[in-house]
Amino acid sequence: MDQLPNLGRESEMLRAMGMDSIEELFSNIPEGIRREGALPLPEPQTEEEIWDDARRILGANVTLDDKPSFLSAGLVRNFVPSMVGMIATRGEFLTSYTPYQPEVSQGMLQAMWEFQTMISELCGLPVSNVSMYDASTAAAEAITCAVRVHNKKAAQKNVVYVSEFVPPHRLSVIRNYTCGAGIEIMILNHSENGMIDLQTAETASGCCAVYVEQPNALGIIDEGLTGLKELLGDDTALIVGADTTSMGIIEPPGNWGADIVVGEGQPFGIGPTGGGPIYGIFSCAQNYLRQMPGRIVGQSWDADGNLAFTLTLSTREQHIRRHRATSNICSNETLIALMGAIHMALLGPEGLEKLALRIAATTESTKRAVLGVDGIQLAFPEAANFREFAVLLPGNSSDALSHLDKSGVIGGFNLGNWWERMSDRLLIGTDERTSPEDIAALTRGLSSWIEGGCS
Amino acid sequence: MSDLFAFRGAEGAGWSQPEPIIDSKIAVATIPDGLLRKSLPKWPRASEPELVRHYTWLSNRNFGIDTGFYPLGSCTMKHNPRLNEKIVQLPGIDRIHPLQPEQHIQGLLAIYYEMQEMLAICSGMEVVTLQPVAGAQGEFAAIRCIQEFHKSNGEGQRDKVIVPDSAHGTNPASASMCGYDIIEIPSAKDGRLDLGALGAAVGDDTAAMMITNPSTLGLFETEVGEAARIVHEAGGQMYYDGANFNAIIGKTDPGIMGFDAVHYNLHKTFSQPHGGGGPGSGPIGVKGHLARFLPTPIASRRERGGEDPEGVGDGFWYFWEDVGEDSIGKVQQWNGNAGAVVRAWAFYRRFGRELERMSEHAVLNSNYLRSRIMNPKKEIAREIHAMPAEGAPADLVMHEFTLSLSPLKELHGVTGKDVAKRLLDYGYMSPTLYFPQIVPECLMIEPTETESKEVLDKFAEDLHAILSEDPDVVTGAPHTTPVKRVDEVWAARNLVLRHPHREMDQS
Repeated sequence: MDQLPNLGRESEMLRAMGMDSIEELFSNIPEGIRREGALPLPEPQTEEEIWDDARRILGANVTLDDKPSFLSAGLVRNFVPSMVGMIATRGEFLTSYTPYQPEVSQGMLQAMWEFQTMISELCGLPVSNVSMYDASTAAAEAITCAVRVHNKKAAQKNVVYVSEFVPPHRLSVIRNYTCGAGIEIMILNHSENGMIDLQTAETASGCCAVYVEQPNALGIIDEGLTGLKELLGDDTALIVGADTTSMGIIEPPGNWGADIVVGEGQPFGIGPTGGGPIYGIFSCAQNYLRQMPGRIVGQSWDADGNLAFTLTLSTREQHIRRHRATSNICSNETLIALMGAIHMALLGPEGLEKLALRIAATTESTKRAVLGVDGIQLAFPEAANFREFAVLLPGNSSDALSHLDKSGVIGGFNLGNWWERMSDRLLIGTDERTSPEDIAALTRGLSSWIEGGCS
Repeated sequence: MSDLFAFRGAEGAGWSQPEPIIDSKIAVATIPDGLLRKSLPKWPRASEPELVRHYTWLSNRNFGIDTGFYPLGSCTMKHNPRLNEKIVQLPGIDRIHPLQPEQHIQGLLAIYYEMQEMLAICSGMEVVTLQPVAGAQGEFAAIRCIQEFHKSNGEGQRDKVIVPDSAHGTNPASASMCGYDIIEIPSAKDGRLDLGALGAAVGDDTAAMMITNPSTLGLFETEVGEAARIVHEAGGQMYYDGANFNAIIGKTDPGIMGFDAVHYNLHKTFSQPHGGGGPGSGPIGVKGHLARFLPTPIASRRERGGEDPEGVGDGFWYFWEDVGEDSIGKVQQWNGNAGAVVRAWAFYRRFGRELERMSEHAVLNSNYLRSRIMNPKKEIAREIHAMPAEGAPADLVMHEFTLSLSPLKELHGVTGKDVAKRLLDYGYMSPTLYFPQIVPECLMIEPTETESKEVLDKFAEDLHAILSEDPDVVTGAPHTTPVKRVDEVWAARNLVLRHPHREMDQS
């Protein structure tokens, strides 16, 4: 209640309007649709009381920092430099709206233009928007964007191929976002070894777009993907979902033919935050620009000839184009993208490379250690991995995870939750924070589970 | 001018990190040769002191609610309590993963459950999901549910969604993304819903009608009950755009009005900061018949059994409940913007059963400001070139109202945009401009409940001063902002969408 500066001054203000009661203000609500009685909610609380409750309730959660953790699956346990949160939550950024008035919004506009530049450099493509909700909606809207661009010439009209290793929650988002446009989603199967089979991929030629991930949800780096664009040709969009950090060491998809690169921005800027707010990146080649979803900042000049920034190409957007807009997106994830921009700027090019190297190192180190446990094999022994890898267990992943949890380790993700046939496979995720001690705890836990009969 | 890409420290400049846990050469060797990155991105090379100054400089060129009055209609720019920001820094929200097992996230699930219940109570809906992460995504998700509902009844032929011409742009855009054709019906002369036009628009092809109440004109749609009857009789569903929910909590609710589905904007009504364009959070609530189509999962609870760990200590065990095979599945990758939900939870707890006071003060402030603007003191009135016209004739408005600057434009050629830009010089954010499109030279003003009487008085006086000023001063505005009026046409023609890096390329 302390958020109401005019509390206790209602009558004074009402009198000035010639009114007697607050109820008069609501007299336009017809009798039949008024709500009666107080809301059945708890008493108002003070800041002190809410803080105590928040600490108690959220304190019941186990955090990724409390135990060695190998749970990643598309959202990472990162370390965010202290400056990021402190600067991004300055009130001038935090409490501003979408920068519709450029004269008093240069700060956020310039920061987003800088963000666009860094994402474009990262992905190897000329254009970036100022964020999507997450990696999945970015992938979904990349597909609808690509269909709008290519459908006219496509031999397989309205058809899009999606890699079979796109996890089901992302596939579900894609299906929701594409069904209204009448897009048919076909599944692009991988070979036994986890890689895209280029011969199978030929069935996709003539379709509007192909969506693959590099590294994919199982952490597999597939060198064969670099041949995909040549196979598909100019009339099919190659859309690649990328692990953003991996591009510090792995050649960005924009440099091997991708037309659109999307991905999860979260590793730069914010902790896993229970799944949001996070942000999706969206970067594309020039010919997709006018069909692109989301906000874009452009450079311009003010009336005195000073460099200035403004939102541009708004005629694609819902507030102007209404039902003909390229997307319904309005609120996006700007503040989180700002956090990402600050984080990226702090890292610098060599810092990015080092961060990616650190993850490559923990991936390799964890992989070697886990393979040393009797009874555990790699699910895809030929594959190179970044951040994540799947192992084949001599029992159920869910049992292994329960055992690990009891021994104080968050052991990873049960792939059976995504694909039933994979219930004996565990997805182990590493990050820049994974330590040799963490790895030892994981292998100890796995060994004792196997020695105890995998129950 | 501080230019991020002008920071060009030595190689490796910037934030320091621990070394890789094994030899870098071994780590590099794990990447297939052909895929090793050949050249690094041209990011700046800057130290923390330089970057703190750069971003602080940028922040000083940005206007937020903290800077001054932000009467941006339909956006509900209320104060963002700082406690909420402190809470989301707790590791119990910042450092948790949505795929952790239930026993790890009892606290998050408890807050989700409480928020679902609270939103259901305030809106008269039966089931709420917190998954959609923006108002537009909430609209999209709810319309998808309605689409599946019709299909399940063998009525897949319903392919039209009706929206009034005053609707937010997201309404037709969201319905269109679901594959619907849009029928836009004109408003009546008083700006309210035209039941005749609605009656003529509905039919056995009607899937849904989407409206916000109060409307974007700030008017309560008094005939909303009748509109719901017309749509339902035709077999359509009623969708409530919750963008203006701040006006009605505790006074009425979408359930009583006859709606079947609703979205809430936690970043409007429940003070999640707008952050320069996001993040938002756009939960949806539905009546029972639509519940089985909702995005999955939803937080649920049961009484704690003897074997359950302690949990949050309220006697319940919380869990994710799968919505089932009719669910539309996912619209966001995880379970929504949990951080935004927690902020909104901390906000609602301040009001609890008194949330009604919040809406009362929002409507009080709006009517008070409108009254102050439309009734200038005599000595001031003499100086005003032309008073704005009401966007819609009405004795009362709700949480926002519209003004038309047409009279001033006709007299002196001063447009709504000019006045909006001149307000920036006076230290205000501009009201929403040229929306709704049915009001010519429209300024849409929403003061929210968190502005004091003094701020509202001063704003009215300053607006009167602008209306009295030399028209040339107003048309040339702004004069005192970090940059002058920005050439938007140049930006759209030249499309300089990233730093050209010319200097860096030469080095």
